[in-house]
Amino acid sequence: MKKLLAGAAMALMTLTGGAYAGDYPDRPVMMMVSYGAGGATDFQARIVTMTAGNEDALGMPIAIINKPGAGGRVGWNWFATQAEADGYTLAAYNIPHFIAQSIKGGVDYSADSFEPIANWGADPAVFVVAADSPMNSMEDALAYAKENPGKLTFSGAGLFVGHHIAALQLEKAAGVKMAYIPTKGGGAAAMKAVIAGDVLAGVNNLSDAFRAREAGNVKILGVFDLERNEFLPDVPTMKEQGLDIDNASVNFRGIMVPKGTPQDVIDKLAATVPEMFANAKVAGKMKAGGSPMHIMTRNEVKEMWAAREATLKELLAGL
Amino acid sequence: MSRTQHIIPSGLVFAVGCWVAWVSYTQQPADAFLFPRLISTAFVVLAGWTFVKALLGWSKIGTGIPRRMAINLAPGLIVSLIYVFWAAKTLGFYTATTIGFFILLSLYDPAPHDQAKSWIRRAIVTACFVAVMYSVFALLLKVYTPREILF
Amino acid sequence: MEFIYYFGNVFEPISLLLLIGGTIGGLILGATPGLSPTMAVALLIPFTFQLEAVQGLILLGAAYTSTVAGGAVSAILLKIPGAPANIATTLDGHAMAKKGEGAKALQLSFLASAVGGVFGVLLLIFLTPLLAKWALAFGPSHLFWLAILGVTIIGSLDSASVVKGLLSGCIGLWLATIGFDDIMGAQRFIFHPSLGGGINIIAALIGLFAIPQVLTMFAKGRQGDGIEVIEVQKHAIKDAVRELLSRKRAMAIGTAVGSVIGLIPGVGGQIAGLVAYDQTKKFSPERKKFGTGHPEGVIAAESANNAMVGPSLVPLLTLSIPGSPTAAVLLGGLLIHGIFPGTDLFDNHPDVAWTFINSMLIGQVLMCLFGLYIAGMAAKVAQVPQSVMAAVVLGLSVFGAYSVQSSMGDVYVMATLGVMMFFLERFGFSAAPLVLGLILGPIAEANFIQGSMIANATDGMAPYFLGGGLNILLIAIVVASIAYSVWMELRQHRITNTPQEETLV
Repeated sequence: MKKLLAGAAMALMTLTGGAYAGDYPDRPVMMMVSYGAGGATDFQARIVTMTAGNEDALGMPIAIINKPGAGGRVGWNWFATQAEADGYTLAAYNIPHFIAQSIKGGVDYSADSFEPIANWGADPAVFVVAADSPMNSMEDALAYAKENPGKLTFSGAGLFVGHHIAALQLEKAAGVKMAYIPTKGGGAAAMKAVIAGDVLAGVNNLSDAFRAREAGNVKILGVFDLERNEFLPDVPTMKEQGLDIDNASVNFRGIMVPKGTPQDVIDKLAATVPEMFANAKVAGKMKAGGSPMHIMTRNEVKEMWAAREATLKELLAGL
Repeated sequence: MSRTQHIIPSGLVFAVGCWVAWVSYTQQPADAFLFPRLISTAFVVLAGWTFVKALLGWSKIGTGIPRRMAINLAPGLIVSLIYVFWAAKTLGFYTATTIGFFILLSLYDPAPHDQAKSWIRRAIVTACFVAVMYSVFALLLKVYTPREILF
Repeated sequence: MEFIYYFGNVFEPISLLLLIGGTIGGLILGATPGLSPTMAVALLIPFTFQLEAVQGLILLGAAYTSTVAGGAVSAILLKIPGAPANIATTLDGHAMAKKGEGAKALQLSFLASAVGGVFGVLLLIFLTPLLAKWALAFGPSHLFWLAILGVTIIGSLDSASVVKGLLSGCIGLWLATIGFDDIMGAQRFIFHPSLGGGINIIAALIGLFAIPQVLTMFAKGRQGDGIEVIEVQKHAIKDAVRELLSRKRAMAIGTAVGSVIGLIPGVGGQIAGLVAYDQTKKFSPERKKFGTGHPEGVIAAESANNAMVGPSLVPLLTLSIPGSPTAAVLLGGLLIHGIFPGTDLFDNHPDVAWTFINSMLIGQVLMCLFGLYIAGMAAKVAQVPQSVMAAVVLGLSVFGAYSVQSSMGDVYVMATLGVMMFFLERFGFSAAPLVLGLILGPIAEANFIQGSMIANATDGMAPYFLGGGLNILLIAIVVASIAYSVWMELRQHRITNTPQEETLV
């Protein structure tokens, strides 16, 4: 009898356990984006997951759920505390945003609350001014800032997001005081403030700034990255313009799951998701939308998170 | 309508207002609470005025809750609260909706309760409603609602 | 006149099919509680992956147009505004439905929507460059004053008691501050984990309007006389047209206010309907009838919220700045096909740009036709017994609130607010000013903080918030609005008081 029971238990375990690893996913998967519908992160998340239903990818569609608010804090807080760690709830991450926010405090997550799966994109921050602005280079902008300390207003998408990190780096490297104006409503609102002349300059996403420049609305004065970007070969980096700024503000976007998700599910996702990103159709749509891609595997992302956390701790120590 | 009936809601609103003001003026960082302070001040003043008016028996607007209404309301309210706050999550949306819908319909349907015909009609209405909800939300819009029992 | 050249594209078989499909689908999605136009358009984006750029945009444009109008169906018949744009429609629309004039209210709302909508799209076609400058003129200080203008409406929205109306508004303003502060990121008033993300406006709308309805139906008990609820009298369409023509003032004010406010990035869509409703009420000789099922209320609100559709796309199409969440989603639909809004769009892809705009023009007309058809059907469908209606609305509210962002927390917030509102309504509080507070709070706060940061870095608070032509104009309107309300209040008192004194004597 005991044997029979044990056997039945074993059978049940293999049945349920086996079904889990082998059949995952057997229903549509949900992916939380902590920014509003139509924002850069949302837009890219929808593109990179559009082939999830294909047989060579997950075989099940990924549905995007938006939980916007407070620079992403609302969504990630929900993800860390309330999302079920069953592999059916994924989230998009934005580096350096959530790491910077967790260092600053007041949120329920840190880099240890999540398990990265793969990275799909890297969107550097750029420094923009309106098309009719008298400033034509970072030199002009910084000269203005030195003459009028604290009076050069420049917009960005919020506090402790990539744009803010870039702003802090700029002030530190140039040794000037400027007025960073965080806007509500993400990069689009920050860009509107620049074009409308509400502020003198702004930090914004490369992809959005590239589009605004194509429309003839802004000038891009510098890129907060180590190298020039393929979308903007004519725009120099900050380093080329004599400012000691690295790539700490580059906005990396990718997929993660909550800590506690079964290891076999993580392994399966880590193996299939980078391939899904590499799909030619995805790459074509991303390029058409002006969004730079940068695919990284789970292990590479882990390293990147750790490195970023160290740099950000140093940068934010004084605040 | 009695004066006591007006005192209770306006008193509660006044209490909430005081709590909001207290939190706004004590919490840090002060910058983030600038706007709540402004609102809570107006909140407390207006709520206080309403409360005083109710105490003096000057409040006349609104029909209040007569006894008859409370008796009618109670079963529906209780079933609804159980449905929303407990059953929907625990039993799954569709199971809970089927049960909740049927109970509410049975409670408030004026058709005779001792005839099989009217019970069958209620069951059919319930089934139709759940079928429509399932096809709109699960099939068309692909919303994955909590599903614990059955579907 | 370039746009006429591209009209042919709209009438290609596939395009026309998509246009009709998008319109019908949009009406249904719009009528579903919990699905705002933004959500509906976002849901349709995956379908456009398979389509060509022009076709995809036709689908999205048609859906945008008709979801805004479709929201009127649930607003009128069930008193559940599908989106903030339809709040003002519930005020008189549902009152009309209760009087048995549901079909008439629906017909008027679709006709008014079409007139307003066509006017809005024509503005988009002919005045885009001019309007773009206008849209950009609104900086943080101006948006702040605009939000304050909205606040001044709060008191007059509730005719029963000005103090309780203002108090309801304050409760709404406070509810809006719950959650993370958007700029600083500080946590405020999060006393339950469900509130971590703040109060979602759509979930709140459903709770505040629908749940009191359900409870009111329960409170009537088991009614012996059977079928009673929304009985809809048949109403001829030509009578509705005649009615609309006799209410030109409401129509004109609604359309004008909707187009102007719709233009302003970040504010427009949500308050256009309410501001238009309030202005129409102030200018109407029949002010007293508003809120009791007056056709002018429905006409003003619906013409405004569809007139907003065209102008709200101006900042997107010309400057590549999405002025509303829906415009942001449409931007995604364009980018996927490698089309960048702005000069690029009109210079290099005129076929896409103009076909899209034309499809919205035709979409408005189609929306009106299908809408009128639905209004005719509503006469049959809405004869539902009260017990069934109560259970249906409750079920819809739960599913609707959940589907906004797949969150149980939103359902709890919806139900809590709803039950609270039911009891408060019994004592003279009302939902409309509360919701207005909920919408305006974040706009006023964010723009005040942002404005004061800019002001402190540049020329100081007073010159920044009080200087400049546009600021002064807006402040003047705010003062005039308050003065007018006070004056009307005083006059009303004198009228109601005089007979009482006579009886005392």
